[in-house]
Amino acid sequence: MSEAGRLLAVFRESTATADAIDALHETGVQDDQIVVMTGVPYPERAFGRHVEWLRLPHIVLAGAAGGLIFGLFLAVITPHLYRLDIGGHPTVSFAPAAIITFVFTMMATIISTFLGVLWEMNFPEFGTKFYHRLVTDGYLAVLVEFEAPLENRVRLILETHGGEHIERPERQTL
Amino acid sequence: MEKAVKPSAKTQKNASERRWGMVIDLDRCTGCQACVVACHAENNVPVVGEREAASGRTMHWIRIERYWEGEYPNVKARFMPVLCQQCTQAPCEPVCPVFATYHTAEGLNAQIYNRCIGTRFCGSACPYKVRVFNWFRPEFPEPLGEQLNPDVSERSRGIIEKCSFCIQRLRRAELDASASGNPLADGAVQPACVQSCPSSALIFGDMNDPESHVSRLALSHRAFRLLDFLGTDPAVIYLKGGETNV
Amino acid sequence: MSDQPEPSGGKPTPPESLEPSEQVRGRLLLDQRTDREIDEAVLRPMFETGPRFWILVGILGAIVAWGIYAWIYQIYWGMGVAGINRPVYWGLYIATFVFWVGISHAGTMISAVLRLLKADWRRPITRGAEAMTSFALMMAGLYPLIHLGRVWKFYWMIPYPNNRFMWPNFQSPLMWDMVAIFTYLIGSTLYLYLALIPDMAMARDHTDGWRYKLYRGMALGWRGTQGEWHKLHRALSIFSVVIIPVFLSVHSIVSWDFAVTIQPRWHSTIFAPYFVIGAVYSGLAALAAILVIVRRTMRLQEFLRSEHFDALGKLVMVAGMGWIYFWFSGFIVEWYGNDPVIRELIHEEISGGLAPFFWLQMTANVLPVLFLAFRRIRTNPAFLLALALLINVGMYTERALIVFGNLERNYLPFNWGTYRPTWVEVSVIAMTFAGFILLYTLFSRIVPYVPVWEIKEGRLRYSLRRIGRLLVPTAAEIE
Repeated sequence: MSEAGRLLAVFRESTATADAIDALHETGVQDDQIVVMTGVPYPERAFGRHVEWLRLPHIVLAGAAGGLIFGLFLAVITPHLYRLDIGGHPTVSFAPAAIITFVFTMMATIISTFLGVLWEMNFPEFGTKFYHRLVTDGYLAVLVEFEAPLENRVRLILETHGGEHIERPERQTL
Repeated sequence: MEKAVKPSAKTQKNASERRWGMVIDLDRCTGCQACVVACHAENNVPVVGEREAASGRTMHWIRIERYWEGEYPNVKARFMPVLCQQCTQAPCEPVCPVFATYHTAEGLNAQIYNRCIGTRFCGSACPYKVRVFNWFRPEFPEPLGEQLNPDVSERSRGIIEKCSFCIQRLRRAELDASASGNPLADGAVQPACVQSCPSSALIFGDMNDPESHVSRLALSHRAFRLLDFLGTDPAVIYLKGGETNV
Repeated sequence: MSDQPEPSGGKPTPPESLEPSEQVRGRLLLDQRTDREIDEAVLRPMFETGPRFWILVGILGAIVAWGIYAWIYQIYWGMGVAGINRPVYWGLYIATFVFWVGISHAGTMISAVLRLLKADWRRPITRGAEAMTSFALMMAGLYPLIHLGRVWKFYWMIPYPNNRFMWPNFQSPLMWDMVAIFTYLIGSTLYLYLALIPDMAMARDHTDGWRYKLYRGMALGWRGTQGEWHKLHRALSIFSVVIIPVFLSVHSIVSWDFAVTIQPRWHSTIFAPYFVIGAVYSGLAALAAILVIVRRTMRLQEFLRSEHFDALGKLVMVAGMGWIYFWFSGFIVEWYGNDPVIRELIHEEISGGLAPFFWLQMTANVLPVLFLAFRRIRTNPAFLLALALLINVGMYTERALIVFGNLERNYLPFNWGTYRPTWVEVSVIAMTFAGFILLYTLFSRIVPYVPVWEIKEGRLRYSLRRIGRLLVPTAAEIE
């Protein structure tokens, strides 16, 4: 296996970035060897790349189901565990049980969305990563991993499409 | 034949045979407040003092409500004793977040002092406003501290309390009855207010026993219940008075 | 180095011959400033903590400290040091609790509802609104503890397994309150934080010292990769959708604390929507007031422009009209029915002891609706601030009248009463107001107040398009 090389370039404009990425694809660089970092969310297909399949909706649904079950348990089961009669109402009735179940379902959905998105992004991650500070100033950073022989072609593509600061990236603490 | 005005007999699956109830004959009540004093003595209810009483913080578990009617010289005083009605469909019970108040098998509305955290939701929910709150630590200036009833727990500040139909007397009577094997006779156990009334205006007994004094009185054409239209189904039945009373 | 302009959203420039109108030129999302300039403009106020700032913090801290003392005094001596009595068992504490929960609703309205409706004027204000929600809920959450007679046993309301097998009573509205407010607090704080992560990365890249360490920790290693943005967007969409039923249910549940009892004038089916619309009204007004003040004190004039106050003012006006409608719907039914106790309560409110408060409430809630119909008033910061504060005074009075006004009368006239708050209650309530302002002030200096990435995203959406002789702003559907 030949040695992998890395180059990081920053672009000022999205069309140029997309053209550069297309050219990189044609050269044989795989999509998962390219990382685009931006300070602004661009629409998913703006750079012609494969959109990741998310597990988040499934995590949220599972969390919601768990919350539903827990809410039902609290509202419907616990009054029977230590039975105390309340005058005028049965031990378990629909309206209060519905409220409690609803609120716990929502609570679990919210918490599982938050934890799920953190888990799926592998956050928190405080180790060193490849990054460029100009990203938050509006530049679009393209990090390319490639096999060593391709280096000159990759460099040329990045330059012709307007890339700046083309260099081997250093790992930074983020 | 008049239908008896009485609380619903069985409202819970685990209801016992008994349903304690009280009849208050307003024709006999003289407004002497002996019942109020007896209740204070029996249940360790503190006296709050003049200033607190003026702020609406009296702690009478039973109170004599007095209303003036008419203009001088035809002024009438109308009064009636009001205590916890021990409602079958008590509006105060479902609202307590910690189950400090619940419905016993004998139809009593029980208040558990050491469970109460003092949200005062039950106090707001009660339409008769019979629930009282310990705003400060109850104090018994000497020598009142010597006459505290050991059968009734002393409450701390921050707790709601109310009439319990002298449940300590009911329990003791039931224990004695089951120990001796003799059934509890009608009128054998009386709350302090009933016991102290000089004109026997308050009568206490088992509403589920058709032979008991309260059940027979409940058949009277004078019988009514306070705020009946609210549907609280109280266990306290009033008998209408004549000229002088409600 | 190339001589192209710095990146600014990558949108096409309009043809040279046409000039956009002044109103269009003034739009935030059509601004030509570079991303770096925006970053610096937002970060700068965070470092500006002059002597006036510290004096403010000191005063607020002193009020909070005094309030804590009053609270401890109350815990030690008992609830009797407050003005409540029989029959007015609930007083200003519960009224303020309802008020704070109401204030919190504006944040979700702005950040969740407007996000789903794709209303871009929400972009610079969404973080300030969401922060208001979180802090208002923190203050609201104190009151169920403050008003307890035995606050040291509050944990019995939490459903934890214990050796008595005793569970709390889930049929009690106070339990619904507890779980709903907790859910909403967690939800809004997490929502606030999630949307903050990219800006924490921006702040991390532009600061050093203790700030760098703080932002680095809070940014969790964010780089802005496409995968990260995709997941963040998805999570924010889910949050926006989920938090809306939560915010509608929270104030409905708070209203049911009153409506499920049989107390006259409490037992009203209209309470739930009435309270919710009142919450949106008072919350949006509070937000408007806060934004006017923040814009001035943090010099954020370039981000909070007249277009935002115009739109916010319109929303406040609509909420006010809704409040009037629901108030009237409740009132006419009660008044017409002529129930004796309700008649007495209405008389007490309109022409009795509570009349000054009632008429203050009606004036303060209705007049602003009329004034806010005019664009000149909506976009004038001083007027808007005055109207917004007036609305909050009116809404606080409304809550107070509902909570303790309606407890003063009941079915047995022997048990009628009055209520006068004491210094303890006023101190504790002042503590929560000062606490809210203090939290908000510190927040504004620790966290970038304006959501920079959302503004940059908005600028990506907006461009100028030519229709005939006009240059019009156009929004692209990129979400």
